[in-house]
Amino acid sequence: MSSSLTLAPAPPSQAAEEVRAQVREFLAEELAAGTFTTHVDTWLSGVDPAFSRKLGERGWLGMTWPKQYGGHERSAMERYAVTEELLAAGAPVAAHWIADRQSGPNLLRYGTEEQRREILPRIAAGECYFVIGMSEPDSGSDLASIRTRAARNGNGDWVVNGAKVWTSNAHFSHYGIVLVRTSPADPASRHAGLSQLLVDLSLPGITINPIRILDGGHHFNEVVFEDVVVPGDMLLGEKGAGWHQVTAELAFERSGPERFLSTYPLLAEFARRAGDTGDAAQLATLGRLSARLLALRQLSLRIAAALDRGELPDIPAALVKDVGTTFEADVVDEIRRVVEVTVSLESPDPLGRALAEAQLHAPGYTLRGGTNEILRGIVARGLGLR
Amino acid sequence: MSDQDLVVETVRDILSAHEPFALTADTAWDAGLWADLAEAGLTGVGLPEEAGGSGGELADAVAVVRTLAAGAGAVPVAEQLLAAGPALLAAGLDLPDPAEPLTLAVAGAVTAEPVDDGDGPGRWQLTGSATDVAWAGVAQHVAVLAAAPEGIEGAVLALVDAEGLATSDARNLAGEPRGSLVLGGAPAAGALLTPARAAEVRARFALARAVQLAAALERVLAWTVQYAGERHQFGRPLGKFQAVQMELAEMAGEVTAVTALTDAAVQALGRGDDVVLAAAAAKVRAGAAVEAVARLAHQVHGAIGFTQEHKLHHLTRRLWSWRDEAGSELTWSQVLGVGLLAEGGDGLWPALTRVV
Repeated sequence: MSSSLTLAPAPPSQAAEEVRAQVREFLAEELAAGTFTTHVDTWLSGVDPAFSRKLGERGWLGMTWPKQYGGHERSAMERYAVTEELLAAGAPVAAHWIADRQSGPNLLRYGTEEQRREILPRIAAGECYFVIGMSEPDSGSDLASIRTRAARNGNGDWVVNGAKVWTSNAHFSHYGIVLVRTSPADPASRHAGLSQLLVDLSLPGITINPIRILDGGHHFNEVVFEDVVVPGDMLLGEKGAGWHQVTAELAFERSGPERFLSTYPLLAEFARRAGDTGDAAQLATLGRLSARLLALRQLSLRIAAALDRGELPDIPAALVKDVGTTFEADVVDEIRRVVEVTVSLESPDPLGRALAEAQLHAPGYTLRGGTNEILRGIVARGLGLR
Repeated sequence: MSDQDLVVETVRDILSAHEPFALTADTAWDAGLWADLAEAGLTGVGLPEEAGGSGGELADAVAVVRTLAAGAGAVPVAEQLLAAGPALLAAGLDLPDPAEPLTLAVAGAVTAEPVDDGDGPGRWQLTGSATDVAWAGVAQHVAVLAAAPEGIEGAVLALVDAEGLATSDARNLAGEPRGSLVLGGAPAAGALLTPARAAEVRARFALARAVQLAAALERVLAWTVQYAGERHQFGRPLGKFQAVQMELAEMAGEVTAVTALTDAAVQALGRGDDVVLAAAAAKVRAGAAVEAVARLAHQVHGAIGFTQEHKLHHLTRRLWSWRDEAGSELTWSQVLGVGLLAEGGDGLWPALTRVV
């Protein structure tokens, strides 16, 4: 098989197992104290700044970053263990998730020294939240077709006009990393002329309108920019290098355990049911789903190990996200085939509620962060087909 | 170059010297391939020298099995190196000469009773019929995992000489012998295994099949990608069509997932961990991948892949068979489901993170 798709097995990490045990103990205490309740897909919908700050206090945010920027200089394998435990518990991690996962690493790579000193410690403390400014009303999978533009004014500042959509958490976040067109579109070079701007979401001219998802939840927004003046030094990285930078960012966005654990709390609830009933069909379904999950863990661990080696495994990440998000949706379908339960957000049965939450969020799994069709195109490139 | 690379190269050299896919209705196995492998010491890889094997690590044995599986080598190497051989050694029994093919029969319908035939303790009399025995009629020795005498927990593993045993002529979908053996009660060396040790024997067998499945799945993907690059329609290679690219990418996802889990299970076995659940998971995951991978491989290959004129069937028919052997998908799914809940319904996550 093409070597660009396969990664070496992850070596065992004692440090990862140690921090895993600490997080597990912390989560058990928090659950017992009632500070959160388990839900499906909480990295999108579980917003709790107090919880995010607790994670920051324990050193579980910005884990891999340099200490001088508030990080903890720990391995990607350790970070993997922490994020996996949080997701498995269905903990409320949405507030800080994007900042910790991709915006921070992006700033570390491309930010100015001042931006790093100012912002990264606040992310690591669980106090500063980010949004992703990629998709637009007319630009989804075809990201290079975006029309939000930024032009220099006489002061050297950027004047931004346009709109971004599906912008998770914009209504409470502090910054966005916004992909903008800084040169006119060039049909000969579609990926040229794009840049990333670090935008303070409280700037005048920014309007944030809620967009509700299927269960009525408010996570998405439309973010409209009308003559928003962004200081000149907020250009992230190089002018015109936006496409390259976004690609690197997406490797982080696509590679983590949230791409196969979004519906894990449903699987855990189902396991309780199967344990109670001892039903053979339910136990077999639990086994089949668990086998798929165990394979995904190994793939994701290999990516974490590759990150620790300093690689940016964008093609394997696309593959894992394709396989992983397909699994997330299949968890719903497989479980509902073997249980008798009323599926409702108001169900007195926790399994019925978890099924309802997971079903209503299901269309998103295989769309967000790049549709599975786009991901398979990337995998096909890894196979040498394009 | 690692040790495994050398092993792989040697096996490939031997494979290439043989008419590939010699298995037909008239030839139950590739005796010539076996003879060459045995002469090179490859039928004893991973089995300790002091027991008569060729020495080397588990990883070496896995490399041999993988290479032969991907090449559709019709020889009982997986059974000998990864299942029956290690099971005999773990039970403290003697290993037969590695040049003489050995297989494993998981035979719950065969009962074992202790006998004293004058050869001392550890002699058992096995009676009953062992069904679906891999390489029945080919293997000279059979490690039989039989039911323990009534009232005793666990199972008996006994080494039976296959000569003179009545066999039936069943085959799997690929034509590999999977007949029955009728055991008539001749005394054989054996050992009583605890339920846990017996489960380990079954799990090793399942993992052996998972290793074979992983290797064959990888090769089927490689063949299909290659074919999509060579076959032109509408003036373009098939692989340039997005619809075909989606299919190949789906195959790649499945294959990569199987390899990652199988590798991890093999590593766990190499560390001496309890691998029953890891083997169960690897076998189930590999079997599940066969559905999509074999279907899409045939879809991309078109009509030629549906004929015996093309090589694809040598591996797809094995994939369709191997996924149901050494314990069905249903059996291993339930073993995994039950095993993960051993500490209660709330214990799924800690159990999952312990499996591999």
